[in-house]
Amino acid sequence: MTEWVSPMTTLTGNLAKARRGLSPGGRGGARVRSRTLKSQTRFTFSAMLIPSVVLLVLINGYPLVYAGIQATHNGSLIEPGDFVGLDNFATILTSDAFWNAARFTLVFTVVGVFGSWAVGLALALLLRTTIPGRGIFKVLLLLPWIVPIVVSSTAWNWLVATPDSPMPALLGALGLGKPLFLADPTLAAITVCVFKVWVSFPFMMMMSSGALASVDDTLYEAASIDGASRYQQFTQITLPLIARPTYISWILMTVFCVNDFPTIYLLTTGGPVDATTSLVVYAYRTVFQDFRTGPGVAVAFLMTLTLVLVSTMLYRQIRRAHVE
Amino acid sequence: MSAVVNRAVSTPGTARELRGRWWRFALILLITAVLLVPIAVVVLLSILPGASSTSSGFTFEHFGYVFGQTLAVTWIQNSLITTLVTVVLAVAVAAPAGYVLSRGRSRAVSAYSLLLFILQSLPIITSVVPLFILFADFGLADSLVGLTIVYVAATMAVATWMMAAYFDSIPVSLEEAAWIDGLSVFGSFLRVVLRNSLPGVLSTAIFAFLLSWNDYLVALVFLRSDVNFTLPIGVQSFFQQSSIDWGSVMALAVVMMLPPVLIFVALNKYFSISGIGGSLAGR
Repeated sequence: MTEWVSPMTTLTGNLAKARRGLSPGGRGGARVRSRTLKSQTRFTFSAMLIPSVVLLVLINGYPLVYAGIQATHNGSLIEPGDFVGLDNFATILTSDAFWNAARFTLVFTVVGVFGSWAVGLALALLLRTTIPGRGIFKVLLLLPWIVPIVVSSTAWNWLVATPDSPMPALLGALGLGKPLFLADPTLAAITVCVFKVWVSFPFMMMMSSGALASVDDTLYEAASIDGASRYQQFTQITLPLIARPTYISWILMTVFCVNDFPTIYLLTTGGPVDATTSLVVYAYRTVFQDFRTGPGVAVAFLMTLTLVLVSTMLYRQIRRAHVE
Repeated sequence: MSAVVNRAVSTPGTARELRGRWWRFALILLITAVLLVPIAVVVLLSILPGASSTSSGFTFEHFGYVFGQTLAVTWIQNSLITTLVTVVLAVAVAAPAGYVLSRGRSRAVSAYSLLLFILQSLPIITSVVPLFILFADFGLADSLVGLTIVYVAATMAVATWMMAAYFDSIPVSLEEAAWIDGLSVFGSFLRVVLRNSLPGVLSTAIFAFLLSWNDYLVALVFLRSDVNFTLPIGVQSFFQQSSIDWGSVMALAVVMMLPPVLIFVALNKYFSISGIGGSLAGR
């Protein structure tokens, strides 16, 4: 918050200027004008929303409607195809590949959200104490989130992809065999999840740091006088006090994980044998590699519906939590 | 150093406290070192000579190859143009909309806020397929213009919230003073609110920058010809060759990660991620 102080001082400067500029008749004039001001305000507000609404309708809204049409047709990227009702949905909902992708998405999301939260919160707590060079570590630890996924996935590939890569070679030298991180289905799934946690923990660290900054230090002093252990202080004071921001960060990360494409696709392209195919990767492959637009868009559409329902519910809940 | 010692002296249990501090330093140093291995790998491989190279020690031969023999310069230009236009447009669209969200207290405004919330949670793959077909009709499919439009739309929801969250922190009384002075609502938005919102604007700009600079999916779907590639697709295209030349890949990767890292390190203090959460809860 401190970095926002300097503009606030300019603000007060402006305020003083505005006050000085008040003419003697200013106040009366404002009162007379207030009604026209209100309708004028409404007009201005609408005008200010126009660019946003236009983009929303054309680039966000229209494709959704069109996706609905595609999902009920058996077309391709070039041909619109014929209306087939809900056949595409029936096809996917009865296919193993879809449920396989749904299951991996669930695992990926749960590990991604709670893994990155645990690491992020732990680091945020550690960085809250007095450590020499704390500011530098804070910036350095954000790098995994700042560096483009294309770049970091390249590095991860180099580290683990083949049996002769550094990581398997290192484990081999330690007598642990040479694990095929991206060729074994289970190991590949684990590797992708670990990669996601590595990419996302800085986000959680930032969210947690922000939340922790608002926790009053004197509470801990009082608690330690009362004889509360470190662990008790954490579960009884820290966690309840950062509950709401934590909740928000979980929601955001859930959305990030469910919608994630590059983290998975760049590391494994969904393989081996679909072991790391999430719903988004599945939809992408169905449309752009199998050229089956209908089922692919239907998958995306199902995800969309689920996310709309879930996010509307969560939105309500956050608002309620805010009112309390 | 003396400051540290002074503070340590003033607290009880000095020696223990000081030792704990250095233990934590060692711990965080180790964690950071391990976590940054992949990033160090990128930098190292880009400056270490390749297998067929005659030079020893550090070398810039990979950079020379990438800039001289590939389309890297074109890709960098493409990425820069797309990203800069996205940043400018995203702020230009999100700032006024965020202002309305921050100041307007009507049902319609709340509904619009909810709509934005839903939109940002939708998988981009849903809209990418229809947009690809739509843009193909207008010749925008394999083009940077089309890509930029999609990026602006994709950043809009979060950018609008970030702006709204910042505007919330600017007192309305300031504007009232400006209105009495005879400024219109839009005039006071431009001259009073926006002029004092540099941190908010920067925050939003960094967000839009990161999104469009790092995007892979939209570019993968839209861009077909290699002269139109942005950097992510360019880096990936090196992998499609039969044997991967790691030195060149990493050299281009270094080029790609420099701008976001530099911008973030320089403007880090302005970027408030928790603002997103706050605005989420506030409306």
